[in-house]
Amino acid sequence: MKFSEDQRRLIGIALTAGVMFLLPALNVTMTPESFLHVSDFQLNLWGKYLCYAALAISLNMLWGYTGLLCLGQSLFFALGGYALGMHLMLMIGEEGAYKSELPDFMVFMGYTELPSHWVPFYSIWVAVAAVILVPGILALVFGFLAFRARIKGVYFAIITQALTYAACLLFFRNEFTFGGNNGFTDFKTVLGHDVFDPGTQRGLYLLTAMYVTSCMLFNWWLLRTKFGRIQQAIRDSENRVRFSGYSTTSYKLFIFVVSGIMAGIVGALYIPQVGIINPEEMRPSKSLEIVVWVAVGGRATIVGPVIGAVFVNWLKSYTTYHYPDYWLIILGALFVFVVLFMPNGIVGLPAQLRELWKKNQHRFKSMPKDEPASA
Amino acid sequence: MPLRKTICWVLLVLLGIAPYAAQADEDAARAILTEAILASSNDQVALVEELAATGETEIVTNYLEAWKRGDIYIFDPESKRIPIYVPEDEDAPALRSAIVVETGEVLVNELGEPVTVDPENLDQARPARKARKLFSRLTDLVGLNSANPDVRAESALKLGLKQNQDYLRDLLALKETEKDPAVLEALEEGIAVSHLAHGSREELMAAIATLEKMNSLAGLSALGNLKAELDEGQTELEFNADERAALDKTIESINSYLAKIDFIGTCFRGLSLGAVLVIVALGLAITFGLMGVINMAHGEMIAVGAYSAFLSQQFFASIIDSSKLALETYFLFAIPFSFVTAALAGLILERSVIQFLYKRPLESLLATWGISLILQQGFRLVFGAANRQVNSPSWLLGNIEILDITFGYNRIFVIFFAVIIVVGTWLLMTRTPLGLSIRAVMQDPEMASAMGIRIDRTRMITFAFGSGLAGLAGVFLSQIGSVGSNLGQSYIVDSFMVVVVGGVGNILGTVLSALGIGVTDQALQPALGPVMGRITVLVIIIIFLQWKPGGLFPSRSRSLD
Repeated sequence: MKFSEDQRRLIGIALTAGVMFLLPALNVTMTPESFLHVSDFQLNLWGKYLCYAALAISLNMLWGYTGLLCLGQSLFFALGGYALGMHLMLMIGEEGAYKSELPDFMVFMGYTELPSHWVPFYSIWVAVAAVILVPGILALVFGFLAFRARIKGVYFAIITQALTYAACLLFFRNEFTFGGNNGFTDFKTVLGHDVFDPGTQRGLYLLTAMYVTSCMLFNWWLLRTKFGRIQQAIRDSENRVRFSGYSTTSYKLFIFVVSGIMAGIVGALYIPQVGIINPEEMRPSKSLEIVVWVAVGGRATIVGPVIGAVFVNWLKSYTTYHYPDYWLIILGALFVFVVLFMPNGIVGLPAQLRELWKKNQHRFKSMPKDEPASA
Repeated sequence: MPLRKTICWVLLVLLGIAPYAAQADEDAARAILTEAILASSNDQVALVEELAATGETEIVTNYLEAWKRGDIYIFDPESKRIPIYVPEDEDAPALRSAIVVETGEVLVNELGEPVTVDPENLDQARPARKARKLFSRLTDLVGLNSANPDVRAESALKLGLKQNQDYLRDLLALKETEKDPAVLEALEEGIAVSHLAHGSREELMAAIATLEKMNSLAGLSALGNLKAELDEGQTELEFNADERAALDKTIESINSYLAKIDFIGTCFRGLSLGAVLVIVALGLAITFGLMGVINMAHGEMIAVGAYSAFLSQQFFASIIDSSKLALETYFLFAIPFSFVTAALAGLILERSVIQFLYKRPLESLLATWGISLILQQGFRLVFGAANRQVNSPSWLLGNIEILDITFGYNRIFVIFFAVIIVVGTWLLMTRTPLGLSIRAVMQDPEMASAMGIRIDRTRMITFAFGSGLAGLAGVFLSQIGSVGSNLGQSYIVDSFMVVVVGGVGNILGTVLSALGIGVTDQALQPALGPVMGRITVLVIIIIFLQWKPGGLFPSRSRSLD
């Protein structure tokens, strides 16, 4: 039975989603002794991996399908995290180490009252709006400037990296009222639920899994639309698209903003599960890591980024634990290997092997054929 | 070998002579001091004044202070009264070693073994009351008697700034006999500042005029105080309008002079920062700008250079007995050595990974990032996680002051170094057959290949050369900070920005943008602080690229992408 390209993509999404939702089911239904049991700790870890997966999808929309290598994805991610983090910090209330209404780091730095831009964040809705709007508006303004000036390719990568670097330096400042290099941590509750409660974490995991699934479905749907076609045409030859009368600038700007918002929402899902956000998350090297996830999983595929993000991060956890001295070397070697020998990533591996088999099969098949002829 | 020996000897002699001459004066001063401590209270005054006349600043200041405090004791074995110095130290054990005043060395017995003493059981040498009264004045004035004109000039100015009437007399007395022009100038400045407080009306006006003529930065605060006193009526002086105007004009003129030298200082610091950026970015301008390879491991090539400098330092320390000589000379070896090691590392990198990625520039970014992770961890495994210290040779420390502006030798050196590297690269690119084939391969590899240029080899050499330049950057960076595994990481974002702003593929553009970024950074720093200054520079760059997306010198071509 033959499936169309489109159907095959949908099957891939369904399989990935199936695995994602199986994990919490195993966590709840299996007894701890069972082989198939997934512990609370592991589920939390997988929640983190899924956040990375969603982040990789957002980058893949840009790099994989539009050809824009953005090294500022970690910035949008961290901005979303910081926006929700502000609300979570205020929700700690007087349970912090200093028993003050102010977040601990403000007491520590000698603030006597809440800075005015913090006040609205008592409301969760303001925080949610900020999660979407802050990365969105930044992407809009920056993207407008960059695309209007027709900055593309490598230059776009470098200029987004510079933006991220500047923001990272800014967030490291204590005066910036976002906790300096310690960032936000010590959260107690999220929407009134205890963050340490396994139930809360399970809920957050499900939310993340649903978000990843909907991101994949959105990606799938976008590919079927005319927009998706133009998006890919821009990747393959932007000038032809422009000469055909399309304003590539607006197309690129739209996808850049969408991707920024997607990354911002991931940040908001990430922070209650991990319990900390600091400027380390927006270092330029973090953005590069996201690119690597996509490359390892398979660029310009729907499930590739998910597989890549989960695989690389699982490998990272595994090697940091078992080979603390060598994990950077293992990861680095993996990237080099993938770039040199697996241009289509893990998802493209079967096709690559099939190709290899086709090219060389005469060597395997010719042997038995030749023998009777010579006899 | 004979040549090396000769150089060694010349260096040793040069390093050796100066200290001996100074030693004789010091010994004389110590002898007088010993005599003074043992003398009767009537003779002490004369001896102490004689001591001050030797001008041995260090001995006079340290020992008179110690004597006054009561840290000088008389060690008295078999009535051979020896003055010794036992520093006061609450944490030290009761029995401790002492320093003989006459020799400055540790107290020993006949066999040459160190002797420990307990100050509690010794006679404290107390200066006579009359002599003690002189001490603080003598310690202040001793510099004026020094044989070294620099010390004389410095202490003349310092005494003048105290605005003390007694010292003013001493300064005026010295002015009669002094021959050295630099000291005379300092004396004039010091006297003028003192006159501001104690002079007659004519002297005061003359002092103001002198200070204006000399653009005296030292006198600025004294002038400001005078003005404040006049404003608040704390002084009996009354200035008429002309005199008042003269004072205001002087303050204003000195302030504008200050602003001028601040500006020049900022330009100089910016220039030297720009020179560091030029050295760091030039290699990248070649690998990224000319070859189109995004080499994220460029920073690690810098680190290779820096670690090579560290290794050559260790190597020289191990083969040359004199640690001083090793420190002075290793650097000259480190420069070519770092270039070669980094170039070799670049060569290996090009052959093993990058040669397969010339058609896929964005993917070269990922692969080289992987390499960069491997190298960083490799450095940590080989050299340890802690930063390594590379010491600067003495001829790179210190600084020179011209017209009140301080120029550090290392900053001057880096500018000089950058000029050599840029000129060398430029000559290589434009005046040699190799440069010609490099440019040909960069412009159109297929056509170059058709013309018989071996593009593989040319690319290999170009990449190795770019990496070698990064190694040179590493040698220099090792001199301004310690060497760690992520040394290069802190420069990689900046260097990419420099190349992009300069216009990719253009060496002149890289140089200009590095200098521009360096000067802007230094000009913003005083007002905004280092971090905000950098952030502002990054934002300015992003805005600049809106205006000129291709950089300062965009490459012109008829092809579209």
